[in-house]
Amino acid sequence: MLTTPRLIAIALCAALNFAVGSIVYLIKLPLYLDSIGTILCALLIYPDRRAAFVCSFLAAMISTVITTLFINPFLIWFSATELALALVAAYFIADAEAIFRARPLPMLRFGTRVVLYGILTGVVSAVVSAPVVAYVFGGVTGSGSAFLVAFFLKAGQHLMAAVLHSGFTAEPIDKTLQVLFAALLFRATPKDFIEMVRARPQPAPT
Amino acid sequence: MGSRELIAGPNFSGRSRTVHLRAQSFAAPTYFIGPYAEAALSGLSSTIADEIELYRAKDHTTGRSRFGTIPTDPRRKPQTLSGGEQVLLALHCFSLSGYRALAIDTALEQLDASNRREALHYLDASDSFNVVLTDNRACPPGWNCTHLTAADTKFACNWEGLRANVRQCRAPVVAISELSFGYRPEHDVFSNAAVTLEPGQAHRLFGPNGSGKTTFLKILVGALLPRFAQITLDGAPYEPWRSGNRALALATQNPDQQWCGATLGEDLSRRRAALASRGEADALADDRVMPLARDLGVPSLDQHLYELPLAARKRISWLWPFAGAYPWIMLDEPTIGQDDDTCRELARTLEALCSAGYGAVFVTHDDAFASAVPHRVLHVENKQIG
Amino acid sequence: MTPNGAIALVIVVVLAAMMARISGLVALYLFTALFAVIEVGPHAAVALRRAVILMLPLAAFMILVWVGVVGRAPADIAASQPGSRMNALIYVSIVCARLFLIVAIVQIAAMRFATLTPLQFIQALRAPVALKRLGVLTLSLVETLLQAVDRAHTALIASGVITRRISARNLFHGWVLVQTVWLTAITSVTGRMRDKWPMEHTLQLLDPLLAETHAAPLATPDKLWIFSAAVIAVGIVWGDFHGVP
Repeated sequence: MLTTPRLIAIALCAALNFAVGSIVYLIKLPLYLDSIGTILCALLIYPDRRAAFVCSFLAAMISTVITTLFINPFLIWFSATELALALVAAYFIADAEAIFRARPLPMLRFGTRVVLYGILTGVVSAVVSAPVVAYVFGGVTGSGSAFLVAFFLKAGQHLMAAVLHSGFTAEPIDKTLQVLFAALLFRATPKDFIEMVRARPQPAPT
Repeated sequence: MGSRELIAGPNFSGRSRTVHLRAQSFAAPTYFIGPYAEAALSGLSSTIADEIELYRAKDHTTGRSRFGTIPTDPRRKPQTLSGGEQVLLALHCFSLSGYRALAIDTALEQLDASNRREALHYLDASDSFNVVLTDNRACPPGWNCTHLTAADTKFACNWEGLRANVRQCRAPVVAISELSFGYRPEHDVFSNAAVTLEPGQAHRLFGPNGSGKTTFLKILVGALLPRFAQITLDGAPYEPWRSGNRALALATQNPDQQWCGATLGEDLSRRRAALASRGEADALADDRVMPLARDLGVPSLDQHLYELPLAARKRISWLWPFAGAYPWIMLDEPTIGQDDDTCRELARTLEALCSAGYGAVFVTHDDAFASAVPHRVLHVENKQIG
Repeated sequence: MTPNGAIALVIVVVLAAMMARISGLVALYLFTALFAVIEVGPHAAVALRRAVILMLPLAAFMILVWVGVVGRAPADIAASQPGSRMNALIYVSIVCARLFLIVAIVQIAAMRFATLTPLQFIQALRAPVALKRLGVLTLSLVETLLQAVDRAHTALIASGVITRRISARNLFHGWVLVQTVWLTAITSVTGRMRDKWPMEHTLQLLDPLLAETHAAPLATPDKLWIFSAAVIAVGIVWGDFHGVP
């Protein structure tokens, strides 16, 4: 499963997850896009779904560990979210790889898929992240969604419910952007690199 | 005596493929230094110390002399080194390794004259390894020379057509004074430097590897914020780091780092949109850029830029400065990987552009190319320019 | 101390911190301070400063949200009590104390190995060679991408597609920077996989380095530290069971 090109793809996607954070800081965007590489890895390795999931998850975990050590020490707590994201990427998002690479770009189908997968990924991410946000971080992780949590708490909701509702509101937007970026990067990737990554290891001659 | 072979020939004649075949014929792993970005590095190291440790022969019995020393912090990241410094590091690693063969694909062109002499002397002096080299500038005496002649014309350039379509321009005088800049507070690259760039003339930035030539170009396009600088265009204040670049078109040393899109069409449409915000999109109108792209060897706007051969990518990277969107043209090491014919034509084209009123600044270690372009030399060293 | 021991220690301390109440946190803070003094020495101040820089914005944010906006603690909300800002502040203080401890132990443990190169650090780990190879590759590619970010940033500013300062144009075109960086990196690795690595057998140079293990996975100091942390963790569990605050 882990051929040399796939190891490269994993490492590249993990590095992309890490580097995008620095890009966002450099051009002063009010976002933090940390899973583009995870989704992209699954797209690159599809149609071998199992390999796509394993490689995507490895990319996510490696970037999480490195980011935890050097930039954001709290990211490691969201490892379960990374697992869920890799599953969604390999078993749902990767299905749209032909649409993402079609030329000319079918705008309506492309846009519909991006939004649908973004919402799906966002909802899954919100559900899986909620216990961590609530019980490890007390509902506040330092992003703007904390004010949404505060709003729901002020309205009388319990902490877990407030975190969930905040997640359902903010996560789909963030994840839709990430699915969009991953799709555009996948679209731009040279075909010979994709072929190299998807080539299965050859069995030894008998 | 180890074999010494030079593979010569024009671009797209199969030199890189021939280097590969020769390397395979050595029947042992061959250390390789390639032409593209980071091709000199293993890709497995985060520090110079790790890069050296990776290649160091474990039994310490290479029997060959060491090439060069590393005058920088061994904990420095090799990816932050300039192209020439990466090649020097690669040669240093090779000299410590147990490889019995070395293949170099145009990488020596990134070295300044002094380092290049030293590298060629090292390759010549030792008999403990084989070398196969392709280089557009070198012709070491005593080497076996294989000339390849048949070249693929798929990416041929039409230089006469390109020069015939040069528009007249009136570039402003660029005056820089009190320039002070450093990447770190304790280490200045420039200290109170001053220089004036005259339109209608080419200027060569000349200095050793790592002296600040590319840094100067970055400051002029507004990518770096100097600690202090006064820049004027025809006397009017100009602060590109604040107001954006509106005068200087830069073709970077590595063409892959200047694209604004995956395809040529995508790249041009984004540049056009950026110019349109200032009402200057005409320079990149389709009827202007399509012939220019064809003249530079890429006839289709749907061409995926990263699927082009490196030499072709380098040439199409000149489309942006040659389009005339900005009155000043800046080329950073334009001749790396380009054969002699292309260098001569490029020199003539630069001269034609300057005659039409453009200003030009170029960085090159290629003295033959520089001597073909009437130019003024600006020495970049000791934190000064001039 | 070995990297393996440091990782194991951090895991034990973090797990203990998650279960700890006030007394448990005090014990863990004392333990961490002792670890910092003995294993890291004066450089621990650098690690602590970094932990403070990382934690301060989050703490401020928490105070703003819980004390400033919500005005009561989660327990008050769950019990439908009016609560008070003081309760909210106490709650935030405990959460922040826990998180700061976690951040600090990670930074202090990392500082312990600051003199090792990345290859030396990964070499010393007890992990499958394939995983180590991935770690080495990723760290190298991170540097490649960061360098490509810097150079692509220059070129895109030069062409006017993005600006140096915050702007609406950056919001719209910022992703072009991501695309350029991605494609640059792919071109670089494709070239290596096609040319340099097959010619040199470069990966075969790496594997013996990664497989070298000069010592046992855990040294004696590692075992002492881990054991001590485990004793504190057991004490915390006992304290939780018996309602010790």
